[in-house]
Formats: sequence, structure tokens, C-alpha cells
Amino acid sequence: MTRVAAPLAPEMTPGTVVREESELDRPWVTIVWDDPVNLMTYVTFVLQELFGYDEATATELMLQVHHEGKAIVSSGPRERMEHDTSRLHAYGLWASYQRDS
Amino acid sequence: MRPFRRRGDRVVAGLTDAESAVVTLLLDQLEQLLAEDAPAEDPVVARLFPAGHATDAEAARDYRELTGAALRQGKVDDLATVRATLPADGGDVALAEDQARAWLRTTNDLRLALGTRLGITADVDHEGSTSQEMTVYSWLTAVQGSLVDALVAGGGRRR
Repeated sequence: MTRVAAPLAPEMTPGTVVREESELDRPWVTIVWDDPVNLMTYVTFVLQELFGYDEATATELMLQVHHEGKAIVSSGPRERMEHDTSRLHAYGLWASYQRDS
Repeated sequence: MRPFRRRGDRVVAGLTDAESAVVTLLLDQLEQLLAEDAPAEDPVVARLFPAGHATDAEAARDYRELTGAALRQGKVDDLATVRATLPADGGDVALAEDQARAWLRTTNDLRLALGTRLGITADVDHEGSTSQEMTVYSWLTAVQGSLVDALVAGGGRRR
């Protein structure tokens, strides 16, 4: 899997830094949630387009969203997950980021 | 509507004059929802600009400050591209790769807006519905679906 490096590096607020230091080991994830409007072929296309997944992987993730209500589509540092979330929002997918649970 | 098909390095569809007029009307409505003063509590605005963090209000606020302006500008730019490539009196829509992405995102925003207003849910069968808005929604679904298929058929993913 290839991925585009995230150019967006937000400055951390002091409050954010404290939270980060307390739970450094847990990565952040970007989640796509099921949505009754977005077409299945469109979601698969967007996942390939944004994350470089091959068609089989993107289709698997799309089906996970469809059947289980959500799927983790990327993981890594918080800033990159914010960026990934905004790229998904640009395509109208229902996405959010959070600490991995 | 003649659905999108790949033709060389373009994807091409055909619209009637009535279809072009409907799209123009929808773009006008979407433009108002993309304005900075659009009411954030409007369910369509909320769907077009979702919370970045589902449970942490502070993180969601940070996200909005960080990405909100660029997200809005991207949607405004996409809408302008669709306007510029839409034949006013019907005819061919011939799109290069970047323009096709703009059409994908904007037709999706239009479907999100209509779908939210119509209360579309996964569990309801809408095939039997005959309301004008539902007809438009189904038409947009066909347009966007054929555009995705045309782009996939061309291996049109940029790397």
C-alpha cells in the first residue's frame, strides 16, 4: 500500500500535548461510517483514490462499512488522521478520527 | 441523460436542456449551503461538514478550525468546475480527470443534500416513490454511478 504523505501538520495545543503524552502507545485511527446515501462503488473508488488500496482491499473495507456499520481505513499519528478525515470529508464520506480502542 | 462513458482521455455524458436546467438549479441551492453564513444547525450543512471527532467536542472544534475553510473552499471550487463544464442548453459533458473528480464530489454533495432532506435511510425501498425530489435524487444517482463506472473502466486513478 502506498500513501500520500500528509502535508498538513497542525500545531499542538498545550492541552493536546498532555493527552498525547499520557497515552503515547495507542495510535489514532480514521473510521468510515455507514451512510445510506453514498454508493458502494463510489466508496470503493474513493478508498482506492485516497489511500492507494487495490480494488480487493478497498472493496473489503467498503463491505465492512456496509455490513458492520464502520471500518478503520487508516491509522497513524493524530495529525495524519485529521488530514485523512478531511480528505474523506472532501469526498462526502462520513468519517471521523479517534484514538484506537 | 446519456450516461458517462470513457472516450479517449475524457469521460463524456449527454444531458438534455431540461436536465441541465435542473442541475443549474441544484447548484444554486448547494451554493447557498456552502456559504460561510449557512446555518450550521441545518442538517444538510451538518452532513456536508461533519464532526471530525465523534465524541470529543474539543477535538471536533480543533478539527473544524483546522480543516473547515479548506473543505468549504474545495467544495466551492468543485461547484464552479461543474458550472463551467455544464452545457447550459443541454449537450455533451466532456470531462478531463480533474474535472471528473469535481463532478464526482459535487454530485455526491447534491445527493447528500437531497438524501438528507428526503430522510433517505438504508432500510427503506424508495423505488416506488414518485415525488419530484426523489426522481431527481434517483437521476443524480444514475449520473454519479455511471461516472464512477467510467472512471474505473479507464483505470483512471491517479497515483
